[in-house]
Amino acid sequence: MALQGPEELGEQVEEPEDLDDQDASSISPAEEITLPPGPGGDDEPEEALLLPWDRFSAWLHCICVVGFDLELGQAVEVIYPHHSKLSEKEKTSICYLSFPDSNSGCLGDTQFCFRFRQGSNRKSSLGCFLETTDRDAPPCLKREQGHYYGYVYFRQVRDKSLKRGYFQKSLVLISKLPYVTFFHSLLKIMAPEYFEKQEPCLEAACNDIDRWPTPHPGRILTLPIMGVVIKVRIPTSYDKPGTSQLVQSAQTDSLVSIVLPTIHEVDLFRCFHPVFFHIQMLWELVLLGEALVVMAPSPAESSDTVLALVSCIAPLRYCSDFRPYFTIHDSEFKEYTTRTQAPPSVILGVTNPFFAKTLQHWPHIIRIGDMKQAGEMAKQMKVKKLKNLKTLDSKPGVYTAYKPYLNKDEEIIKQLQKGVQQKRPSAAQNAILRRYFLELTQSFIIPLERYVASLMPLQKSISPWKSPPQLRAFVQQDFMKTLEKAGPQLTSRLKGDWIGLYRHFLKSPNFDGWFRNRRKEMTQKLEALHLEALCEEDLQERIQKHTEVESVDLVLKLKDKLNQAEREQLPVRSGTLAKLRAHIEAVIQALPEDLQGILHKPATP
Amino acid sequence: MAIRELKVCLLGDTGVGKSSIVCRFVQDHFDHNISPTIGASFLTKTVPCGNELHKFLIWDTAGQERFHSLAPMYYRGSAAAVIVYDITKLDSFQTLKKWVKELKEHGPEDIVVAIAGNKNDLGDIREVPMKEAKEFAESIAAIFIETSARNAVNVEELFQKISKQIPPLENAEVDSNESFKLTRQPAPSTRRCC
Repeated sequence: MALQGPEELGEQVEEPEDLDDQDASSISPAEEITLPPGPGGDDEPEEALLLPWDRFSAWLHCICVVGFDLELGQAVEVIYPHHSKLSEKEKTSICYLSFPDSNSGCLGDTQFCFRFRQGSNRKSSLGCFLETTDRDAPPCLKREQGHYYGYVYFRQVRDKSLKRGYFQKSLVLISKLPYVTFFHSLLKIMAPEYFEKQEPCLEAACNDIDRWPTPHPGRILTLPIMGVVIKVRIPTSYDKPGTSQLVQSAQTDSLVSIVLPTIHEVDLFRCFHPVFFHIQMLWELVLLGEALVVMAPSPAESSDTVLALVSCIAPLRYCSDFRPYFTIHDSEFKEYTTRTQAPPSVILGVTNPFFAKTLQHWPHIIRIGDMKQAGEMAKQMKVKKLKNLKTLDSKPGVYTAYKPYLNKDEEIIKQLQKGVQQKRPSAAQNAILRRYFLELTQSFIIPLERYVASLMPLQKSISPWKSPPQLRAFVQQDFMKTLEKAGPQLTSRLKGDWIGLYRHFLKSPNFDGWFRNRRKEMTQKLEALHLEALCEEDLQERIQKHTEVESVDLVLKLKDKLNQAEREQLPVRSGTLAKLRAHIEAVIQALPEDLQGILHKPATP
Repeated sequence: MAIRELKVCLLGDTGVGKSSIVCRFVQDHFDHNISPTIGASFLTKTVPCGNELHKFLIWDTAGQERFHSLAPMYYRGSAAAVIVYDITKLDSFQTLKKWVKELKEHGPEDIVVAIAGNKNDLGDIREVPMKEAKEFAESIAAIFIETSARNAVNVEELFQKISKQIPPLENAEVDSNESFKLTRQPAPSTRRCC
């Protein structure tokens, strides 16, 4: 693969070239443990070596049952599997976040989700393995680092036999994976059975999950659970955005198998319905990482809306903290609501009316009424002034003093309004809205992608005997200059202050996160190219001209490189690592025997 | 050829060899030291049948009593149920009859039922006469076969018989005389049961 220039180089970073033909000689840490292959005969070799509960851990941290005790209040009744670890602080968070905050009368079954900070830094023995499976996932679907998601199925029904008069219980899945739709579907199967049949049901479910293939992007996964087979495909970062590769065939029986067209996408149209006229402004607020709070009547509505907000800038990853459902008991409550500092860059979803007062000083507040009357069309609403936000029962709407940078796109509003009049199905409305956001985000991000790709050094500047060249620095002025000719006007009809939007964005956590990720990918690409160049050299000839000390030095350096390549899964051409190993071996062989012995010893970790 | 997914569940007392039958059918393998199933395990195998391919989605349920309440999840939506007993254990045949009753009361209406008397390689310590089991199966219009998962006897045949009783998609409406109909009304043939 010859490199012609920086343009191509930038694109190569995107290519899934090393996806399928993984270097046969590269050993992932999981492979070093030699164990008899497990029951799954048709698995990938690396999967056959997983230990009991490893597969389960690849999907879930644990399953909790949260109930209500008259004396203690909410309490975690069961943690499954029993060996899973949760700190007391984490348990407290899970307790409060698994129940509706205020007496919002969630009678019947409710599903919602929350997100909380991981208490202690626990390292999974599977860490490296999971990183590999995560590598191909799109940025917004990667495993969480410092947070857990809690996916809740809450049941509240009258039960006269109980002292409290009500049966109240939540089944909660704790995971680092942001597959909202998938986990909600899973709970829909698991929870009703659990509430009826108790512990054996959890045991059976966990046993099923522990036989699942690991969540590998790009493959169609068949996931049997409690008598039903769920089929899903986790998207990859190479997919064409906005396409779904799995379609439900008409004849399938939901008691036999279920095909999920998406694992993570929420219904944007339904979620944004109450604030329909402001979707474009909301997109800007999320893009810029502004402090936002959603005040909703129930945890289901608050979490859906927060997730819709976070996902409206896909394929960009929302990099600040967000809490689909946040309560006054949260360990970050003080940190996030303090008035001594400017509101942090976070999105909170709340239901407790108390927050209307606590977060009065927040710059942007979305108030959502009951979403059940979604059939009705939202009336044209003006953005409301913050001072009009009364503490308790204010009207639904967006309360902010923010002036959007871009002009309002009347077309999308008209298109969706027409859809409502024609009774277009919600799924179709959702698809239109999702496409709109996707095109808007892409128009915005393409100029940045193009500029950042141009920061890649030229191929000819890579010399095997010098350290790899550095990426050039991101210079805001230079980037702004590129906008004149190759700005978003090429792909978007929207007018407005794009320059101002970029300027603001470059200061935001979302830019920081995006750029860090790009820089890491490009640096790794440079390392990989450097390694490939090194492997093409005639090392034998070179060491003949050098002293023993220099040869030893070379061996150590090459070993370092090899380790790095394996650890970081550098995107090298297949065969490169085998070649490098052979080089190292050859150089060692040319040294005196006593040195050979020392150099052959495995490096101490 | 069209692939049809058919959910199949295995029911029966603990230790009768449900997992061994499935293991023989899917992997053509027999393991003497198999541990008790938790909940249910899931395996698939696709076999040709006429103009169709039948992909069996097999739920091999746990025989232990504490998992009994989970059974409906596995027979719900099933096209067929294989109820297994051990020919050397009379008790397991009594359990089988209970399963037939439960299926009749709560199972899908048109489920194909197959009765498999496993461990027929242990004929010298037999407790359930073949004749009795066969007559019982006939009385409820179920498939009957004796199998040995250990010696690979009649395991393929068991699933072939099931395949044949699954009505093809095109004429799904046509009732085969042989197919076993479970209805909520007690059928006259149940008097032999229990």
